[in-house]
Amino acid sequence: MAETENVQILPVLPLKNSVLFPHLLMPLSVGRPASRAAVEAALATEEKEIVIVAQRDPNKDVQSADDIYTIATKAVIKKMARPNENQMELIVLGVERVVLLRLEQTEPYARARVRSLPLPDEKTPEVEALHRALVELAMRVLQLAQPNAPVEVTQLLASADDPLRLVYLLASMMSLELSKEQELLETQSRGDALRLMHGYLSNEYQVLELRNRINSQAQTEMSKQQREYLLRQQLHAIQQELGEKDPQQAEIELLRERLQKLELPEEVRKEVDRELSRLERLPPGAPDYQVIRTYLDFVVEMPWNTFTEDNLDIGRARQILDQDHFDLKDVKERILEQLGVLKLNPEAKAPILCFVGPPGVGKTSLGQSIARALGRKFERMSLGGMHDEAELRGHRRTYIGAMPGRIVQGIRRAGSRNPLLMLDEVDKLGRDFRGDPAAALLEILDPEQNKNFRDNYLDLPFDLSKVFFITTANTLDTVPGPLIDRMEILRLPGYSEEEKTEIAKRYLVPRQVKQAGLKPEEVAFEDDALRYIIARYTREAGVRQLERTIGRVVRKIALRHAEGKIEPVTLHPGELADMLGPEIFSQDELRKEQPPGVATGLAWTEAGGEVLYIEASLLPGGKGLTITGQIGEVMQESARAAQSFVWSHAEELGIDPAVFRDAGLHIHVPAGAVPKDGPSAGITMATAMASLYTRTPVRSDTAMTGEITLTGLVLPIGGVKEKLLAARRAGIRRAILPKGNEKDLRELPDSVRGDMEFVFAGRIEEVLRAAVPGMAENLQTVKAG
Amino acid sequence: MEKPKQSSVSLFAATRAAAETHWRPSVDIYRTRHGWMLKFDLAGVRAEDVAVEVRGCRITVSGVRRDWLIEDDASYYSMEIAYSRFERTVELPCQLAHPRVTLEARDGLFIVRITEA
Repeated sequence: MAETENVQILPVLPLKNSVLFPHLLMPLSVGRPASRAAVEAALATEEKEIVIVAQRDPNKDVQSADDIYTIATKAVIKKMARPNENQMELIVLGVERVVLLRLEQTEPYARARVRSLPLPDEKTPEVEALHRALVELAMRVLQLAQPNAPVEVTQLLASADDPLRLVYLLASMMSLELSKEQELLETQSRGDALRLMHGYLSNEYQVLELRNRINSQAQTEMSKQQREYLLRQQLHAIQQELGEKDPQQAEIELLRERLQKLELPEEVRKEVDRELSRLERLPPGAPDYQVIRTYLDFVVEMPWNTFTEDNLDIGRARQILDQDHFDLKDVKERILEQLGVLKLNPEAKAPILCFVGPPGVGKTSLGQSIARALGRKFERMSLGGMHDEAELRGHRRTYIGAMPGRIVQGIRRAGSRNPLLMLDEVDKLGRDFRGDPAAALLEILDPEQNKNFRDNYLDLPFDLSKVFFITTANTLDTVPGPLIDRMEILRLPGYSEEEKTEIAKRYLVPRQVKQAGLKPEEVAFEDDALRYIIARYTREAGVRQLERTIGRVVRKIALRHAEGKIEPVTLHPGELADMLGPEIFSQDELRKEQPPGVATGLAWTEAGGEVLYIEASLLPGGKGLTITGQIGEVMQESARAAQSFVWSHAEELGIDPAVFRDAGLHIHVPAGAVPKDGPSAGITMATAMASLYTRTPVRSDTAMTGEITLTGLVLPIGGVKEKLLAARRAGIRRAILPKGNEKDLRELPDSVRGDMEFVFAGRIEEVLRAAVPGMAENLQTVKAG
Repeated sequence: MEKPKQSSVSLFAATRAAAETHWRPSVDIYRTRHGWMLKFDLAGVRAEDVAVEVRGCRITVSGVRRDWLIEDDASYYSMEIAYSRFERTVELPCQLAHPRVTLEARDGLFIVRITEA
């Protein structure tokens, strides 16, 4: 057989750039005439054998044995076709390794004498080990190179039982350089071939691994961009440092410097440092940047350790308070007490006061002058209509546009840790689904809790215990109980006519004159003139309307001055009537003649006291009790109690029971559109009924107030001062009050007290005797019985 | 002379290498009353170039086809018939106890008859 023949002379087909290994098929394309001749010569033999050998230099045609390698492969041509005249396509199968002994001829084609050169058959453990290692490595390479390689390929690699075949197979699969392929063909033993191949394959493995790593690196490139951006920012910062400072970096530096200077509490310092380092790491375009920036600015501006020294000169404080406000003895006294306490104990907690009184009595301005007297910063905020708890306590910083609460903002504006904070209109807090601001106030106004007040925005504890809180309210009715409980209530009732005159003289007139641009000596009001304004043009507990009216007068005088009439003016009541037009409130409002069934009552409102009339009338043929005039529940019950008393005591009161047996009763309280409530009209209603049933009129110069019980007792009521002031404004000079309210008369200015007559009643009979003179005789007998 | 361009590890080369390096003749197998008849398609193969080996129920036919028709003034235009070693192994579903094998070459077919004693 062909293999067994040791030496043969065969045509030679030189290959330019590859090596054919035994046992492998290789497609070839033959174009060179010499090569075509060699192939044809081979085909002309029975065995179709040819020697395939690599050229040493691909660009040089084979002239001698030196131009080709000496180790070659004998092959069999399996198939041949000619796509065109000068081209042959072959499929050759490597048969065995041969060595070229001599080149017999080169023209027209190369022929060589060759001897087969099989490798020694070795089956040492080393070869076996190398074989296995190579299979394993080949699998790994295959996995890396083509993870989805068909199973057949791996099976093929594993099934090659001759290690040499495996080596040749792998060599054909890899694109090795010609010299390496040739080296592989020339190895002396299977061991050498395996080692060599293992080396090549390892190299291939590393190359593939590197390629994969590069691929995956390219994939992570996107996340790296972020990092790169940061590095670029740092680089930018460094460059700026070398040349001109980056405005942004400078900003942070400035902030840091300012924070360093502040004496911050430990907890605050830690939080602030953390935020600052977050800020530094953020690019300025980040949405969080501005948020943190604003926050830190705010923290810097907070008066963490800034105090104002309290002015503890009590004499000076008293002077300031008196200067700014007339009277208000109780309140002033309370402030001076506090000063005394602070003088003795600087650590004393600041008080929390609540001024309650009608509008225009000077609650807010009193706060200002207290701040002035104490030498504290003054900040006021109105809570009227506030219905969001977050307004007081701030929004958390996570929200867009979050802001600190009003309290903290006020303290920042004040710039001191112990300002006087005035919370106006605490009775007008709203409440809805967003929360209850009054509840938030509970914490703020509790000296035990507000030491560590935590605003949602600031999110740092801030000590409010040194803040002097003053709240104001027109009424306490709408203020939640727990809140009232935390405050010290100081009432500022309305002013009497005399007080108003005094206030006008001392404060309002000089102020209006100054505002109008006049000199004090150019305008003077007579006391009568002021009283005239107060009585005829104003009806209020405070002095706002009075001040406005004075302002009108002063402006008219200023106009005259501007027109050139510059002589000083002293104003009389008569002159005022010309300037202000018709009187708005006439003194005649007092009803001179009252028919039976009408009684004068006194009411308390947020705006002070008021006089109201209660009218009772019989409804012939009707039944029961009708009450009209926007009457609240308490007042209705009070009316029923009065009715029951009158009916059940008809005999004692000298009433013919037939009168109420045959007719219903209607009670009306004008003005019909104004809501009214409360028990204090009880005796007034009882009086009106008694007057109606006995057909005896009530004294028209007498007003009354007091709660009535079923047994005819008269119980004390509130708001005495306001009510009496209102009565006096209305021209009433006689008032019937519950005995229990006798002590309240001390609140009244002396002028009022001296001007009015008071009757104190413990029982309804005493009221009736004083109010309905016509009933006096009958009542005498009642009392005797 | 030039290998087609290959990628770094070519599966094309691998699958081609997987093909048998020897060609495989086609075979028809008949069941006869006394045994088996195998008909190999071995056109152009000289009878003396064929070797038959029976081992158990495995029958291997191998040899070489030589191109004996070569004329001096003719040259190949194309070649499809494989002139090289062939080998074909057939496994029969039986245990041949004492097989008797007779061979016959006729008209390009090589017939192997196996009869059991």
